[in-house]
Amino acid sequence: MNIGAEPPSLDWGVTTDSTSFDVISNLQVGLTQYNGSLQCAPACAERWEVLDGGRRYVFHLRGDVLWSDGRRLKASDFEEAWKRLLDPRTGAQYAYYLYDIENAFAFNTGRIKSGDAVGVKALDDRTLEVRLKRPAAYFIYLTAFCPSYPIRKDVIDRWGDRWTEPEHIVTNGPFLLKDWKHEYKIELAANPLYFEGEPDLKKIKMFMVAEQSTAFALYENDELDYVDNRSFSTPDVERCRSSPQYHNVPLLRNNYIGFNVTRKPFDDRRVRLAFTQAVDRRVFPAILRRNELPAASWIPPQLPGYAPDSGPPYNPERARQLLAAAGYPAGAGFPVVELLYPNREDTRLVVEEIQDQLKRNLNVRIELVAQEWKVYLETLHRDPPPMFRNSWGADYPDPETFMNLFTTYNGNNSTRWSSSVYDRLIEAAEAEQDAGRRADLYRRADRLLCRQEAPIVCTYLSTQNLMVKPWVHGMEFNSLDIQFFKGVTVR
Amino acid sequence: MAWLVLRRALWAIPVLWVVATVTFILVRVVPGGPFDAEKNLPPGIVANIKAKYHLDRPVAEQYLLYLGRLSRGDLGVSYKYANRTVNDILSDAFPVSVQLGAMALAIAVLAGVPLGTVAAVRRGRLLDFACMTLSTVGISVPSFLVGALLIYLLGIWLKALPVALWESPRHMILPALTLSFLPCAYVARLTRASVLEVMQKDWVRTARSKGLSPAVTIVKHVLRNSLVPVVTILGPLTAVLITGSFTVEYIFAVPGMGRFFITAVINRDYDLIMATSLIFALILIVSNTLVDIAYTFLDPKIRLEH
Amino acid sequence: MSSTVEQLSAQQPGGGEPPQPPAGQGLVPATWRRLKRITLSYASFWVIVFMIALSLLSWLGVPLSPYAYDQTTSATLSAPSAAHPMGTDELGRDLLARVIYGSRLSMMIGLTTALIALFFGTIYGAIAGYCGGRVDAILMRGVDVAYALPDLLVMILVGVLVGRGTGGILTALGLISWMGTARLVRAQFLQLKHEEFVEAARSCGQGPLALIFKHLLPNSIGPILVALTFIVPAAIISESTLSFIGLGLSPPACSWGTLASEGWRSLRTHPHLILFPSLFIFLTVLSFNFLGDGLRDALDPRTRLATRR
Repeated sequence: MNIGAEPPSLDWGVTTDSTSFDVISNLQVGLTQYNGSLQCAPACAERWEVLDGGRRYVFHLRGDVLWSDGRRLKASDFEEAWKRLLDPRTGAQYAYYLYDIENAFAFNTGRIKSGDAVGVKALDDRTLEVRLKRPAAYFIYLTAFCPSYPIRKDVIDRWGDRWTEPEHIVTNGPFLLKDWKHEYKIELAANPLYFEGEPDLKKIKMFMVAEQSTAFALYENDELDYVDNRSFSTPDVERCRSSPQYHNVPLLRNNYIGFNVTRKPFDDRRVRLAFTQAVDRRVFPAILRRNELPAASWIPPQLPGYAPDSGPPYNPERARQLLAAAGYPAGAGFPVVELLYPNREDTRLVVEEIQDQLKRNLNVRIELVAQEWKVYLETLHRDPPPMFRNSWGADYPDPETFMNLFTTYNGNNSTRWSSSVYDRLIEAAEAEQDAGRRADLYRRADRLLCRQEAPIVCTYLSTQNLMVKPWVHGMEFNSLDIQFFKGVTVR
Repeated sequence: MAWLVLRRALWAIPVLWVVATVTFILVRVVPGGPFDAEKNLPPGIVANIKAKYHLDRPVAEQYLLYLGRLSRGDLGVSYKYANRTVNDILSDAFPVSVQLGAMALAIAVLAGVPLGTVAAVRRGRLLDFACMTLSTVGISVPSFLVGALLIYLLGIWLKALPVALWESPRHMILPALTLSFLPCAYVARLTRASVLEVMQKDWVRTARSKGLSPAVTIVKHVLRNSLVPVVTILGPLTAVLITGSFTVEYIFAVPGMGRFFITAVINRDYDLIMATSLIFALILIVSNTLVDIAYTFLDPKIRLEH
Repeated sequence: MSSTVEQLSAQQPGGGEPPQPPAGQGLVPATWRRLKRITLSYASFWVIVFMIALSLLSWLGVPLSPYAYDQTTSATLSAPSAAHPMGTDELGRDLLARVIYGSRLSMMIGLTTALIALFFGTIYGAIAGYCGGRVDAILMRGVDVAYALPDLLVMILVGVLVGRGTGGILTALGLISWMGTARLVRAQFLQLKHEEFVEAARSCGQGPLALIFKHLLPNSIGPILVALTFIVPAAIISESTLSFIGLGLSPPACSWGTLASEGWRSLRTHPHLILFPSLFIFLTVLSFNFLGDGLRDALDPRTRLATRR
């Protein structure tokens, strides 16, 4: 297979990107794991209890989970992992995922010096207790997510930064890291000690071919057995759409144009609403040609809280009125605004289309600014331009992963939009135990976000496009875009 | 000749020093730092990392520290690949680039010189036109397109060669061909011009009038005397080819060092940027020296010192 | 990448260029007369004039195509037809309109880069070649240093100082392209300055500036002109490579280079996207090369006979 790029780090306490997670998800297992319908099934934990109205979780670990060096998995491996994630000296970006745990926030932000008060504790070798500061309906999903996987503290202490090299790393998942030729390929081998039994697939070669059309050529020549978007240029998708090897999977990834609401002219809600109503989202699938789903609202249809009318309608007439009301009749006097986007083929097409639509519908000029991915991220974090193109993929199958993004306190909220009403709705939804009422809270927040305040213009939902050779069996695709290889066989 | 080598070696030191200094200044003048893209890092952590790499010291001190390390052959650490030193990275990637570049250089010369000679001999005829049009294709088609065409024709359609990756000598052929396309076209044009020039010399006419066959005249006399300008460009050409090409490595997924000329700059990976320009300068100096030595074999009239 | 092209291109004509007699009054008309006899070069000249005219007309706002280069339509990716002679791109924009618009940026990038490179390169090379000796050695090591500096770093710096628009790209490409011209002019001067007519002028008491501008430079004009015709295509290609690594123009602006670097993946599905921009680049480069060859011959009286046919 092709993973497209060198994973920045295989340390699941530190890394945040999907390339690294692709590898880690096959090396390591956490308390729970996703089953086919994206529900949490037992993994290292054989069962768990939810106590005190959702405030306390007790996980009972299997006794037969072995690390690749033969040592038995202990509950303290989890305690150490989570405390390491929260320790400010680790500098883990995903530390905030555990903020629902008692004292986790205080420890991570340095308000308390010691991790002892953090609400995660190994009661004995096989029992892990987690105390939350308030009920959180989505918490169980986090135990299937890479950053929460256990670590071998002794290994990390011994090798420091180099512990993820193949000669040092110790894992407990279905595969072992066998070889890592940096910037070229990673090889995984079946783990004979894996607690669910050694996988049928003996070896996985993960190449880092950056160019899509090259990777696809490798697939056509049978040098790759499986390719996804990373190896699938749009012309190739078009060519292979009718092949029996082709699969198209809707993803929990929503794409949007954000406004920096602290910058003129987007501090005016009417301007934002004018923009969001002036974008015709129906054209995106025709341009991007990967079966994308046009989206005007932020919660994807697969998740609770979705409602078709949460997003704004396409109404250029109304948009022009709004813009005139904001003081720019027919676009007169409207400044040229910058739209920042990461330099990629698909994003370029999207922003060029939006640039032209806004010019036609509102007579406003947008200047497109492309930046290399890392520079783009830095700009978004430090000083977001008036408009920017971004996307968000779900970390777990719950609306929370999307909706939390635009709360005042979320570090990835580059719009600088802050609404106490919205924040309260999200907090209420997080703590709500009744599924119906919870969905309703998210629905109201979604409507506020997309239709009433519009700090973002939602555009479309991405899809995963794959080709799998006929001799590969047992591939299962999910909307979280994680590929597990333990059940795959090659015949 | 020993004197020439010695003199060039002595010159190399100030040149490398200037390259190091100017690059050092450039990387620090260019906005953006190596840790900018890491979002949400607490300030304390950034301070720790900067202290680890001495980036918290005054620039003058950083410069002296760098020169000190450089003089010991330590090229520093990569900030992007936290657990790898620049020496590690380049010792993996440089041999790959050298293999690829040497192969491309060989193709460029072995194909370019005959092509140019034939064109010159058949000047104004159809063959000349064909050769020159072919070489114009080489100049005017960007290498990513050449690569894509070769992958399609030889890799997918004919299934004659592996389309990409770096596993065996056969895997080198397509990237080397792609890389050689442009230099080959230049060598061909250069050879043509030079052969034309030499063919008008009186002694060539004399040789012909003495009854030597055209083929013998060309190969034994004209070509030898035409190669000086070709050899001249081999200096910079060698440096360019064996330090790798971003485009070719990208298209063919070759783990060479050409990519670092681009990615190191984009990531503001200071030490890696310095290392790539120093290596390029060093190779440039060495290959230019070799070119000067080659002159003496080709044309005894050229003296090494002027 | 771009400096590769430059250093290869600029060195070629320098090789064995013979000295020319002092420029006479009728140099331009005479050259023109000779050029006219070389059919291929003469035709190339007019192709280039056509390309420049195309870019100038689109610059002046003369509508050369019924569509605007940035106008999206619902007819995405249609093959060449009567309505769209070159087809349309992913956003339904008319490719003919884009190729015409692209000609302006490509030609401007090509010509301006060449002029910048020529200006700096000639001054630098002239000083080195005229002074010779130690000055020459030091200046030439300076060229080595300039070659070794990372192009991309220079470009990013220029981008910050000048802005990342067309102006930035022009300056940046010029800044990394002057070294070849410098070497060429230097080699030419080194050779010429011991020629009899230069010695004669010197013995008549002419100063260094007069020598350079009246005698050395006019007699180097042939190779320099030829080099120019090589730098132009090289810059056009360099710009496409820049777009390829994502540092090119800001859309919807486009050049032949960006069109090619965006279209090449569609080679097997929508070949018109890559065919037409490449064809224009090819035609232009071919014309510049043949014109260069022709100019060389036309400027060199010794090869005059050979070209008459």
